Amino acid sequence: MIKPEDGLPPFVSSWRQLYILVITVLVLLIALFYWFTVTFE
Amino acid sequence: MNWLDWIVLLLTLVLIVGYGIYQSKRDRTISSYLLADRSLPWYHITLSVMATQASAITFLSAPGQAYTDGMRFVQFYFGLPLAMVVLCITFVPKFHNLNLVTAYEFLEKRFDLRTRGLTSFLFLLQRALSTGLSIYAPALILSSILGWDILHTNILSGSAVLLYTVIGGARALSYTHLLQMGIVTLGMVAAGYMVVRMLPPQVSFTDALHVAGKMGKTNAIDFTFDLSNRYNVWSGLIGGFFLQLSYFGTDQSQVGRYLTGSTVGQSRLGLAMNGLLKIPMQFLILLVGALVFAFYQFETPPLHFDRLPVQKIQGTEFSGAYKLLEEKHEELQLAKRAEVIRLDEALDTDDKAAIDASRQVLSAAEKELQQLRSEAGDLLTKATGNATNDVNYIFLRFITDYLPAGLVGLLIAVILLACMGSVASAYQSLASTTIVDFYKRIFAKDKSEQHYVAASRWATLGWGIFCMIVAQYASRFGSMIEAVNVLGSLFYGVILGIFLVAFYFRKIGARAVFLGAVIGEIFVVVSYIRDLTAFLWLNLIGCVLVIAFARIIEWAWPQASKQLTDGE
Repeated sequence: MIKPEDGLPPFVSSWRQLYILVITVLVLLIALFYWFTVTFE
Repeated sequence: MNWLDWIVLLLTLVLIVGYGIYQSKRDRTISSYLLADRSLPWYHITLSVMATQASAITFLSAPGQAYTDGMRFVQFYFGLPLAMVVLCITFVPKFHNLNLVTAYEFLEKRFDLRTRGLTSFLFLLQRALSTGLSIYAPALILSSILGWDILHTNILSGSAVLLYTVIGGARALSYTHLLQMGIVTLGMVAAGYMVVRMLPPQVSFTDALHVAGKMGKTNAIDFTFDLSNRYNVWSGLIGGFFLQLSYFGTDQSQVGRYLTGSTVGQSRLGLAMNGLLKIPMQFLILLVGALVFAFYQFETPPLHFDRLPVQKIQGTEFSGAYKLLEEKHEELQLAKRAEVIRLDEALDTDDKAAIDASRQVLSAAEKELQQLRSEAGDLLTKATGNATNDVNYIFLRFITDYLPAGLVGLLIAVILLACMGSVASAYQSLASTTIVDFYKRIFAKDKSEQHYVAASRWATLGWGIFCMIVAQYASRFGSMIEAVNVLGSLFYGVILGIFLVAFYFRKIGARAVFLGAVIGEIFVVVSYIRDLTAFLWLNLIGCVLVIAFARIIEWAWPQASKQLTDGE
């Protein structure tokens, strides 16, 4: 029997948390690239 | 290339093809041949979807794009993580639970055969043309290095991959993707390291970024909302989201990758990890391009990076004019280099007034140089009779002119491997759609599994040959990475619209979605021809039009729709 949690990495406890992590990393990357643009332009 | 480069290149290619064949198993069913028996873990899926998306164009064209246009292209990928989340929630469980081999089977279950056929046809058209461009990219490299005709290099780069794709199917594909991504990462890290090491001793890594930045090459983020601007945060997040959702959710070359997952969870995790890794990877590739630009501020770059047309212009009536442009270019570069050194000194002392003054001078010089490059391109076009665009040659020329023996071979191998990764997936997806959605469904319904496996092998071979023919005509496009994405944007929005109606608009029936798709596609093509908007927005427009027209037609001319349950 396959459980819904099958395949989850150990640092999250649900799929919802993993999706929030993916979106948070995106926001952080945009912030980081903004800093990069402003710093070197 | 010297003998060491050739050894590295040939060994790498033999290793990949041999490994692909070694991992092949005797496939007795179509699910085994096309989906590796749905048995692979998440990291296979992550690397396989990345290898499929990152073609040779990614490694060849993207650094050139950063060199000429800056790093703003990275914003194109901002919609990808969001698309991965939607795919994990909606598409992956639905496709897995219905035990599909191709994404288009789902459309017949939800609508009818006609809608499945239309969508499969749009996919085949778009994917075959895009794959031709993907083959053309490394063929260009071989043509430039070996001095061979592009026809022969097209055949070489398109057929090497056919061997293990035809024999090994999805399993061979997935295992070779793993190895390819490892070698590709190693090669690009080495290239990045070398370009920083080759900067003058007084110029640090951050100095190089400041130099590139002051001339507009570190423009990774632009928050301005402008529909005519190809790359900004909004076009990347919104237009890019629809493009990526359509690409990963409805393009069989990607759907076929994550359907090989052993469970829904493994497929989901594979895609989520792609959402985390893709943007940093693309940023680093563009960063290499910006660093190459910084490097060329201290070394004189060629006026035109493609050697062949420059050789051809010698001895023609245009050679004198080209020589004059080269002399002007040399003078301008020398003046610019002196200013770059002044800028570097100003950066060291943090002299803001001097930095601003240098920036203005350099910005004007850069514009003048771009103008010269454009004039040189026009002259070469007149002299050779062919359109010339050297964006795709910039990184290649840097590799062959400056990198040490062995590393040149490795980087040429990287570009070829990247091509093989994406082209292999494309061949297989074209074959699976042809066999599962047309041949098995319409023409030969009750044959044995072994018959379909054999037919899939023949279809792979046939599509391989067709894509190589398309590659022969690919030189007419400009930057290839943009050409591929423009082509995708013409079809992906409409295909995505069909799938979104299938998932989220349960009352809309087959007739309405079919007519909505036809009208939507006509609108998208007309918008593109009339240049009404930047191409990324076509994905959103196509998708919204299909949904809107389908709803209107359903409202005006209602028809009972099929209701689908998981496992149906």
